[in-house]
Amino acid sequence: MDMKGKLRVTLVASAMLATACGGAATTPSPSIGSTLVIGSAISLTGSQAKEGNLAKQGYDLWYDWIQAQGGITVNGVKHPVSLIYEDDQSKPDLSATLLEKLITAEHAQFILGPYGSAATATDAVIAEKDGIPMVEANGAAQAIFSKGYKYTFGVLSPANKYLTGVIDMAATLSPKPTTVAMLSANDNFSVEVAKAVVDYAPSKGMQVVFNKTYPAAAPDVSGLLSQVKPLNPDIILNSGHLAEAIAINKAAKDLNINAKIFAYSVGPSTPDFVDALGKDANFVYDGSQWTPQVKYSPQFYLSVNQYVLAYKTKYNATAAPDYHVAESTAACLALQKAMENAKSLDPAKVRDALASLDVMTFFGEIKFDSRGINVFKPMVVEQIQGGVHYTVFPPDVANGQPQYPTPAWSQR
Amino acid sequence: MTQRFRPPATALRRLFVGGAAIALVYVVLAPLSSTDAGQQLGLPFLTDRLWFRVATTVAMFVVLASAWNIIGGLTGYASFGNVAFFGLGAYTTGVLVSLRQWPFGLALLLAPVVPALFALVIGIPLLRLHGHYFAVASLGVGVAVGEVVNNLQPLGASTGLFLPIVRSNLLFFYLMLAAAALAVLVTWVILHTRFGYGLLAIRENEEAAAVIGVNTTFYKVAALMIAAALTGLAGGIFAQWNTFINQENVFPIEYNVEMILMAVLGGAGTLLGPVAGAVTLELVILRLAGGGAAAAYSQIGLGVLLAVTVIFLPRGVIDFFGGQSRLSLWALRRSLRETSV
Repeated sequence: MDMKGKLRVTLVASAMLATACGGAATTPSPSIGSTLVIGSAISLTGSQAKEGNLAKQGYDLWYDWIQAQGGITVNGVKHPVSLIYEDDQSKPDLSATLLEKLITAEHAQFILGPYGSAATATDAVIAEKDGIPMVEANGAAQAIFSKGYKYTFGVLSPANKYLTGVIDMAATLSPKPTTVAMLSANDNFSVEVAKAVVDYAPSKGMQVVFNKTYPAAAPDVSGLLSQVKPLNPDIILNSGHLAEAIAINKAAKDLNINAKIFAYSVGPSTPDFVDALGKDANFVYDGSQWTPQVKYSPQFYLSVNQYVLAYKTKYNATAAPDYHVAESTAACLALQKAMENAKSLDPAKVRDALASLDVMTFFGEIKFDSRGINVFKPMVVEQIQGGVHYTVFPPDVANGQPQYPTPAWSQR
Repeated sequence: MTQRFRPPATALRRLFVGGAAIALVYVVLAPLSSTDAGQQLGLPFLTDRLWFRVATTVAMFVVLASAWNIIGGLTGYASFGNVAFFGLGAYTTGVLVSLRQWPFGLALLLAPVVPALFALVIGIPLLRLHGHYFAVASLGVGVAVGEVVNNLQPLGASTGLFLPIVRSNLLFFYLMLAAAALAVLVTWVILHTRFGYGLLAIRENEEAAAVIGVNTTFYKVAALMIAAALTGLAGGIFAQWNTFINQENVFPIEYNVEMILMAVLGGAGTLLGPVAGAVTLELVILRLAGGGAAAAYSQIGLGVLLAVTVIFLPRGVIDFFGGQSRLSLWALRRSLRETSV
């Protein structure tokens, strides 16, 4: 996609509109309605350009597909789609103005979310004030959904689900692990992940024997791990970031801490983790929003395999799409389905349809609770086995078995 | 007092003042067309939500640039930490409204107070520094305050604060416009009192000012406190207007760069220079925002523009209209002579 001008992606849409308005009807049925405008103020440049562009890839994948279908069918009328981007330059303070510009000047009827929590919160306020439905896929902050806003919906599993899947999985394994050590970075998201585990583990018969936070991006975690060693926990969990996940794994080896499960919220799913640790990365688990291995049976749009293929074809990529891409596409699907269900383009009716949406997609189930959060899609658990990522839990979407227990460092 | 010689009003100047007056009347009155009464009178819609968003943002930067001008332009202390005052003002309102359930009007009264007290505390040590040292130290304060707020759980930490939604565009526009008018009024008063002459004396030669009896520490700290109060007021209005505040959107260091650019471009040390600079620059920034590559190039453009302004129009754009600056070789030579050490 070129980055010139306003990044308008109107191609077919405007052409179709022109013919429709000109009265030169092409095919009589189904009739072609007005062009439907969807806007997104997303980070295409600046510090979050990488993630922002991944989200845009997800939106564009859906856009190509829906245009090939001729648009969204609402009440028997096909509406071509115009998807308009504004680049917020990774500055949340610009996001509000750009969103207002999309809504007022570009006549966006619906909004796809930006990248990042601050921008998402800012946009949620505008969506609420203006009564425009927004579906977002890249704002982790749960606070947005605790304010009673009616017009913002998130297709992501919330932070508190990130590692509870690992606990669920652990409960099915034998010999069953019984003690948990939790190490958490002190940022908002990681703390939320950790708190959920600490609350949840006892219900599965596991005891949290260690629970401490460290400053985010801490250079040295070996001190914390040396406190963990004498407790000899069965499970060592970390909610933090890539660098800390690598550091914890290294320190565990140096200190010869032999837990049965090592699981980290962020890090293991990236290629960097395997590159940095080599075979020491094996047996490590992580929680992920989506993996290319999941086995869902979608009611519409593409299957998981078709989606991966469509991604590789469009972006000439060898690797499967990142979960940022998948969740962004899922946001588009939620919006599309809600319009179809509402049989109307009225923002309030589409909002109501979003609130009552329940649909299975390649990304998993999309259904929102009263706050607008998708609590119904499970997080999946991945494990690195022989340098390759396998989805190992829940069993109905898995393509591998957990290799359990993790062998002692001396026996690898 | 050494007032600079002002030539009689030129046609250019008259044109500028006239144009500005018409624009001001339009900006003040246009929003009324969106009221119910305005609609009953059959007025055409002169504004929409985007208009309000842009106009309120521009008014906000008029406050920020004018406030910076008091410490940076009049006193000669280039502060890179004013954004801390903006954030503190925003958080004062934010905390009181969202966590203490104060009414917004009452909370807003404290928005200038907290930053001003903070300016008093940091001003006494920091304003002992000069030139680059002050600039760097103030930058440190600007960044540090944001980081501290981002880690304080009682202030919402990285989650930020949500205020109750207030839907009135009209309210926030007129509040910000009033703050802008206040900032200009305060500058005018300063320029016409002994206090202002003291600040100018400090800017021109601090030692000499002290010798002739200016209490330099008091003057400098007072100037910083006034700047902080005005900046904090804008922050307080912004908090309720934007509804959501966190470290990223009320402590952005770009705001500090922008307010300096605006004041310098328009004319640092003048009454209306920062106003002209803020209006022009912010409109350009918002015009280009969202343009992808165009936005990136605009950053380069702004840098070039600043360089050109400083070299050819050292007293800013406002001085060009009727002042001494001219786009000529002679003006270039003169400005180089004046600005080189």
